[in-house]
Formats: sequence, C-alpha cells, structure tokens
Amino acid sequence: MSQKLKRRLVEADHNLPQSSKTALEESHSDSDFFDNEGESSDLTDSEADLSGSDEVDSESESDNNVSEQSEEGDETPKVLSNGSPPVLQKVDEYAEHDTSDEEDIRNTIGNVPMKWYDEYKHIGYDWDGEKIEKPAQRDQLDAFLQRIEDPEFWRTVKDPQTGKEVVLTDEDVKLIKRINAQRVPDENFTEYAPWVEWFTSEVMKTPLRKFPEHKRSFLPSKIEAKRVSRMVHALKMGWIKTNAQYKRLKAKKKDQFYMLWQTDSEAEKMRRIHDHIPAPKRFLPGHAESYNPPSEYLFDERELQRWHKQEETPWKRKLHFVPAKHGSLREVPAYARYVKERFLRCLDLYMCPRGIKLKLTIGPEALVPKLPSPKNLQPFPTYLAITYEGHTDMVRTIDTDKTGQYLVSGSDDGTVKIWEINTGRCLKTINTESVVRCVRWCPNQALSLILVASGNKVILLNPDVGDFLISAKTDTVLKESPKSDTIINERVRTTVQWAAPSEAEYGRGFRAVLTHFKEVTQVTWHGKGDYFAVIMPDGQNRSVLIGQVSKRKSQLPFTKPKGLVQSVIFHPSKPYLFVATQRHIRIYDLIGQALVKKLMSSSQWIATMDIHPGGDNLLVATYDRKVLWFDLDLSTKPYQTLRLHGTAVRAVSYHKRYPLFASCSDDKSVIVSHGMVYNDLMQNPLIVPLKRFAEHKGCNDFGVFDVRFHPLQPWVFSAGADGTIKLYCN
Amino acid sequence: METDDSGPQLEICFVTKQDIYAVPGVPFSVPQNINIVHLNKLLNELLGDYTGQLKAIKFDFLVNGQILRLPLIDHLREFNISTETTIDVEYIERTEAPEPENALIHDDWIGGVQAADKWILTGCYDYSVNIWTVHGKHEAISQEHTNLVKAVSWLKQSDPEGGFVTVSHDLTGMLWMWKPGDKSPSPVIVLRGHERGIDSVGVSPNSERLATGGWDTYLKIWSASLDADENYEPHHKKIKSSSHLPSRTPIHTLQGHKENVVSVQWLEPQLICTASMDHTIKLWDTELGGLQSEIVAEKAFLGASWSPLCRSIIACSADRHVRLYDPRSTEGSVCKMIFTSHSLWVSAITWSQTDEHLFMSGSYDECVKLWDTRCPKAPLYDLSGHQGKVLCVDWTNPKHLVSGGTDNSVHIFKNRHNN
Repeated sequence: MSQKLKRRLVEADHNLPQSSKTALEESHSDSDFFDNEGESSDLTDSEADLSGSDEVDSESESDNNVSEQSEEGDETPKVLSNGSPPVLQKVDEYAEHDTSDEEDIRNTIGNVPMKWYDEYKHIGYDWDGEKIEKPAQRDQLDAFLQRIEDPEFWRTVKDPQTGKEVVLTDEDVKLIKRINAQRVPDENFTEYAPWVEWFTSEVMKTPLRKFPEHKRSFLPSKIEAKRVSRMVHALKMGWIKTNAQYKRLKAKKKDQFYMLWQTDSEAEKMRRIHDHIPAPKRFLPGHAESYNPPSEYLFDERELQRWHKQEETPWKRKLHFVPAKHGSLREVPAYARYVKERFLRCLDLYMCPRGIKLKLTIGPEALVPKLPSPKNLQPFPTYLAITYEGHTDMVRTIDTDKTGQYLVSGSDDGTVKIWEINTGRCLKTINTESVVRCVRWCPNQALSLILVASGNKVILLNPDVGDFLISAKTDTVLKESPKSDTIINERVRTTVQWAAPSEAEYGRGFRAVLTHFKEVTQVTWHGKGDYFAVIMPDGQNRSVLIGQVSKRKSQLPFTKPKGLVQSVIFHPSKPYLFVATQRHIRIYDLIGQALVKKLMSSSQWIATMDIHPGGDNLLVATYDRKVLWFDLDLSTKPYQTLRLHGTAVRAVSYHKRYPLFASCSDDKSVIVSHGMVYNDLMQNPLIVPLKRFAEHKGCNDFGVFDVRFHPLQPWVFSAGADGTIKLYCN
Repeated sequence: METDDSGPQLEICFVTKQDIYAVPGVPFSVPQNINIVHLNKLLNELLGDYTGQLKAIKFDFLVNGQILRLPLIDHLREFNISTETTIDVEYIERTEAPEPENALIHDDWIGGVQAADKWILTGCYDYSVNIWTVHGKHEAISQEHTNLVKAVSWLKQSDPEGGFVTVSHDLTGMLWMWKPGDKSPSPVIVLRGHERGIDSVGVSPNSERLATGGWDTYLKIWSASLDADENYEPHHKKIKSSSHLPSRTPIHTLQGHKENVVSVQWLEPQLICTASMDHTIKLWDTELGGLQSEIVAEKAFLGASWSPLCRSIIACSADRHVRLYDPRSTEGSVCKMIFTSHSLWVSAITWSQTDEHLFMSGSYDECVKLWDTRCPKAPLYDLSGHQGKVLCVDWTNPKHLVSGGTDNSVHIFKNRHNN
C-alpha cells in the first residue's frame, strides 16, 4: 500500500511547481507519522488543491482568449486581420474540447478544384449549408492601388477556399522564411544539441545479459526449412515460378483466347478432383421430340392405347411422352413434366455413384500362343523330291532300313517292294499273295530281316540287299530252327503256327512264315530286334501275340480281352509294352507282368501310335481327326491335342534324330511338325506345326496311309492310296 | 539403236583378254538400256573397222565380273555400280551351245558314265558294263557284276587301253582290261573290302591308285595296277567270290564319314576329296592317312567336283542348288556362290577340263545344264533330251558332254566351244 502510494506521489511530483513540491515534501515527511487513513485523505486534499489551482490558471487564460476571440469575431474582418490569426483561435477551440483533430472547415465542399465554382456567385457552402458568397473581385487597378497604399500587402494572401484575403502574422512569415531557407521550421529546435548516448557505441567487454544465447538461435529453423522445402517442391513441380520463368513464359505467350463455352467433346476437368467421371450425357432429342414430327412418329390409336395402358409401368414405354404435332413452335404448350424430369435428372446426377467400367479387350491374336517361327526350326522337309512309283494298288505301309539306303513298302496288290531311296529305283518286288498291311525292318543291324504282315500271315523276309555277309548270316541263323522240347501251349498253337517256307517262297526271300488264325493288321519290333509283337484285332483275348525270332516261338501275354486292340509298340529302352485299344492306351511291364499305367485318350477310336525315341512321349493318331501327344511323366491325359487334319488320321511318326514328327490323314495331307522334347523335366515339349504336304491323290476316300522319317536325314516318306510313295526333303 | 539415243547415255569402254579381238580402248556413249544384242552389233562393227574381220562373232559381256544378261542399266543397278564413271565392259567370245550328238540306248538305268578319247564307258543298273564310241556304236558289253553298277572310270583318261574300273552295289569293284575291238572285256582284279554298296570311285592323276567310297562310309584306297600278282592273297577267299578272279584288298581304309560317300576325286597324288550324305566334304591326305580339312554344309551332298583350273569345289546336294566352295578358305564351310535353276535334286556335277568357268550339272528334273560361274542367276544352256532323272554326267573329254539317267540312255552333246 505504501509503495503504491509512493509511486503516485512520484508521478504527481513531475506535475508540481517547485514551490508546491517542497510543500508536499514537507507534508509527506509529516505524513509518515500519521495513520494510513488519515494520510490518504490528507493527500487527496492537497492534490485536489493543487490541480484546482492549476485549472484555474489555465481556465482564466483560455477565458481571456475566448473573450478576446468572441469580441473580435463579432467585429469586422478588419479587426481579425489586426488581431490574432483565426488558426490560432481554432487550435484553442479544439484544445478546449479535446475531441477530434478535425479542422474547422468553413467551406464544406472539400478538397475540390475551386475552378468548379468559377461560374457561380458562391464559392461553396459553410457549415450550416449556406452559400459562401464570393468576395468582390478587384480589378488590376484596385490591386495596384492597394499595393501602393497598403503596407501589409506583401503579407496578404488569398485563401482559395473562402476567397478571402488573409494577412499573415509575423510568426507565419518567420515560419515561411525558415522553410524557404530549408531550415527546421520550429524556431526552438536546437540542431546542435549535445548527443545523448542512450546505447553505447563501444563494444563492451562483458555482455549486457548474463546468460548465453539460446540453442535455438544457432539451429536452423524447422518451420522455415519446411516452408523453404515446400517452395522448392512447388518450384520443382512447376506450381510456382521464378521471376525469370514468368518472364520467359510471358515472352512466349502471345495472345490468349478462352473458350466461352466448353465444347461437348472436351472432357470436363475439375480442379482438385482427380479421376473425375463426367456425368453421362442425355440422349439427344430425336424426331419424335420435334414439335412438328413426321407423321410416322405420331402415335396411332393402338400405340396411344398401349402408351396409356403402361401407365403403371412407365419404364416399359418406348417413349416417355406422346409425340405431338404443332403448326408452329409458338403453339407448343409448356411441358408439364419439365420440372419433375429436371429434378429426377439432378437426383440421378448426384445420388447415383458413378464408376468407370473396366472393359477387357482381348484380341483374337492375343489368344494364339506364341510359337517360334518355322524358319527358325530348320531343318524340316519342305518340298516333294522323289516319287516312288511301281505299286499297282494302295500302299499301306512303308519302312526304312537303318542306314537310310533302302525303303520297303507293302501294298494292297500283295507285293512288298524294296526301293533305293536316293534314286527311286525299285530293287526288288516280292509277292506275298495277300494284302500287305504292315512291313517293319528289323532294328538289329546284324540281321537283314523284314517283318511282313500279309493277310493272316506274318512273314520273316530276308530282302538280301546291302551287305551280303549279313544276309547270309541271317539265312544261316534262321535255317536251323532251335530244337526245344517244351510243348507249345494249346492256346498259342491254335493262334499261330511257325512254318518253314516252301522252296518257291524261300527263293522269294521268305525265311519263316507264321500263319495266324485271324487277319494280322500290325507287327512291330522290339528295339533289340529279337522279339516282335503281332496284332489281330479280331482275336479277342488272343489279339496280341509276342514272337521271338531266335527261338521261333510265340506267346500270348494277355488272357483277358481288353477291347479291340488297335496298335502295339515296345518302349525303346524299358521292358514296357504299349497296347492301344479303341479308347485307352495301357502300358504293361513285361518283366513284372503288370499294368503300369492307363492313358486316357479323349478320342473315340485310336488308329496308331508312335513313341518318342526318348521313351517319355507318345504320339497317338485317332480316327476322329486328332493327333494326341502324351507326356508320360506329366499325366495320363493328352499333353496336347492337335486338330490339324480334316479327316481320320492314319499314322504318326517321330524322327529318330531331329525334333520332328509327322502325321498323315485321309484328307491326303501329310503334316510335319516340330516336336522338341527337352532334357529339362520342368520344360514341357514344344510343338509347332511346320508344313503341310498335299501331294497324294485320293483313292476310295483314302488319302495317305503311312508316314515314316528317313533314319538320318530330315526327310519324310509318305505312302498314299494312289499307289505311290513320296519323299519330301528339306 | 537410233531410237534409243534420246534416252540417258552411259560411257562404256570395251576391254578384252583375247588379243585377237582387241579393239582400241576408246570410251563410247551408249544408251543406258542397251542389251547384249546391241552391244554385239556395236562391237562387231568396231571389229570390222579395226581388224577388217567381216564374220560376225557372238560375244558375251562381263560387267563387274558377271555376265551381262539384263539391259546394262539394270545390271549396274543390281551391283550398285555408279553410272557416272566410264564402265569397263569386258567381252569374251560366247560359249557355243552344245550340239546334241547321240543317244546311247541301254537296257536299264545308267549308274555311271565316263568318256576317254572317243570311247564312252557306261555302268548300268542291269549289272552290265558297256563301251560305246561317241558315234553311238556299241563296242563291248560285259556283265560280271552281280548288282547295280554305280560308277565307272577309265584308269588312263586318254588311253582306253590302260583299263578301267567299275564299282557296284555287290560290294566289289572290278579292274578291267580292254582293247578296242574286244567285244567282251574281262575283269582282271576284284576289289574286295567294302561292307556295303560302293557308290563312287576315283582314279589318282598318275593312275597308280584308286579310291572308292560307299554306303559303309569308308573311303578305301587301292592300287590301280592291273598286274594281278601284286597284292594277291590266295588264302583270302570270300564266300561269294568269283573263283577264277584274283581279289585285291585296300591299301588304306579311311574312316571319318558318317554316311554314304557319294563322290571321290583325287586332287593331287596325295589328296582326295570326298563328298558324303553326312553333309560334309572332306579332303584326305593319303600320305598321312588322315583328314586334312572339311567343309560342313546343311544338306546331304550328292556329288562334288574339283577343278584344278580354278581350284575350287562345286558341289550338289539333296536340294535344288549347286554350291561353289573354296577348299583353301580357312572357314571352310563358307559357300562362295549358289547356282539355282534346277527344280529338283541335282544329282551329278562336273567341271569342264579346259575352261575354269564352265561346269555341267544333271538333275532329277530331267535336265542337264551348262553353267558359267560368272553367271550364277541362270545357266548358259539347258541340255534337254533326257526323259528321266539324270544320274551321272561326265565331261572328261572336253569335246563331249555326256550324261546318263533313268531313261536308260546316255546323251552325248558335242561341245563346239574352244574347238
């Protein structure tokens, strides 16, 4: 309390004149001895006294001025010029009220060019809205006279606002003089006052503040860094541009024109809305909407009736309105449903979510698997090179010897012919007296032997071509039949009878004749060239027969009929026998005497099959126009089904060395395909059809019966129903 | 020619290597599309002016080493030769068209044929060996082989009395002695050793050695001596050997081919060139008894011929093309040139003995063609006449082009060039 009091006292001190101050100090010193209450009252009194005295002084002074002014204002303007200037009076006036720093503007027109009032008698309006009359204009003579007469003329100026003449006071003149002399207008201002050093200019040895600078003053500001990085990013993205860039852009841009109306074709783009889906467009009005539609668009009675009938189900209507004809556009009435339809449209636009419909566009080209070009799969047969002519009837079967020197063919004319491959020369013709259905050259090179299935006989034929030593050895081997005391099974004996050829037959090359109880359709050698298999499809449970050349003996491996056996082959390396019935292929283990696997062909009727020399892939020809490729490691279903032929496929064949296979069909064509089998178990075989040959002529709906590859070259032979054999070369 | 003068012109300069037909090397301005006929006319006029020769001679023109067949401007465009400079047009006397002379009718297909002097030796598919004169007179026949006779060769090319050799698919070859007038020549020595049919035979330049190749893939080298006692081993008896004939065993057996050897030819006394169906042509050194170099191709060869004049090999394979190989090139498999005109397999081929550019080929398309290596687009002449596959051709006697085929006939064409 006492402190507060003290401060107030100090404050009061500054305002006090010297005399009263001392008095106060005295009272102050006295008051120390008093009670608080008493002191305060005392003090207020004294203060009041002091202020009161002061007020009186100033008031009396101002009073004087006012009275002076009022006296002078009531008098003529002349007196004004003599007395104190009006400006000063005004200042006093405002000081008294202390409300605003506004000047008292006699003329209320404001700061406008006075020439506007040149034409009028008045020069503006005073505070009360009265016109201020222009003072009488003096002419040159009057002015001159006044200059001569009036000693104050030089300090008389005209107030443009009021048009009155004002005589400047001495202070004014002094002020103007000082301004003209470019000095400080205030006379009392001392330009050369002594310099007060509020803050020292010398560097002090010790800082003003004891504590060190805060850490943050050394650290770069994070907010600033953020701001800068934002700007840098914006610069980088091109959202904001540097001045240089702006200049460059401006220089580049010449005239810019804006579309007044966005065209319909242009997609709507919205700021800040990405992937905006524009609203679906309304259908354009058609002829029916016209005010004057062609008559065919107008409803007849039935249509109108129907339209009305669909009142309950308006979405079923073809048109949502009744077309009407009007003489002129002027006669068209207001559309009653307009507001409703607009409203519905608006509802549609903002209530229904829009989405982009993703359409999958798959061309037919994309569905075709990517296969290498046949050009890169050379070599493969490409053209017909040699035709072997000589057979008088359909050639059913062909085979080549291992060296690629000779070709053997069997025909419906009952002959077997041996050909020289390179020249097309028929070297030998052997008559078998029955339709030759299958010929197979013995794979064992030490034997010169051909298996011929002719009618219900199987003939072991020595062609006697090539090395005569081998031929002679074959003859000696086959001449002496091994004596064995084992009694031939009754079942086998009724199936087949081994017999030595007659003299005439021996001369033709026959070395053994096996007579079967049914017609033989196919024979096949085991890879070693000792065993062979014979098929009689009509033989029921005795349809498959396995013979052995060295022992001159046959056996029946199956006891139960498994169906109509179509084809049989031996596995090239394992002791497996593949037996194809009409629909299935069964793989039997000959040593274990068990069924290993059953392959399901999707077809109705299997014709023949061939096994890849690797032994893991099987090719099956079917009468229902398909060629099936089985990958034995993969599945019991076909790995690939090739529908390349138009009619029944008669035969298929693998090349022993090249990755090729061929198929022939009754549509007279031979198709050579690339069939690459990889050593890598993970990689599936690659099958590419390469070339189609249609060189054979048809005969009785038969086309090509057999197809075989040259054992060494990438050449293929085909045996046709037209009695010719053709060789296609690369 | 006058009408063509309005068109753009070319500057050409005639040059030749044949001195008798030389003309001054003055450049001529000729129309761009000038062809051989007009060039011939122009050249003959020139020759008439300079040498006073009046008889018109037919010339062929070589531009950029290739015989001109098209109009000149087309030829230049094909080889991208600038038409701004003077073009050197080399002219050579045109190869005369061979003249059909005779057809020798046999009983069966002709497997091999060779001419020496005026005698023509043929091997036949009916196992017989025949000797004819070029005039079509049948001189001798002998049927000693027991299978197809695949190739025949005189031992001395100019002297029929030096004997001949025949090879057959009965696994033997035979050396024969024959004198003109002898109606049935008799074999002197039987060559035994091959295990399969023999397809080809070649006689060394000095007539001392023979080489045979066949389906057993071996190349066997034999002595060509007709002296029976040399090398004869009485103990060595084959099962089917003709008892009265001494047999001979090979001096060397060279292994290397994998398939049938279709052609054997001696290049030098120690160098043999063989072509095989295993896609290779091999050069063998008989001295070392081993392989010297090899040309690997993509097709099975059916024939090959080496020319000492241009020192390159011309080969035909189981396709429509004839290919020219240079055995000296380091990358031996590079085919220098391909001649395509036949429509089926080209089965036989042989170089000319006198001209380094000419060769003849016979094909399964029943056509024999005469080629110039400087004109790979088309043959010079088609020698037609065969009505079956051509199996063998021969041009050992430069005067006669001989070919035999499956139409059982040997056709003789007279070569009128360089006579």
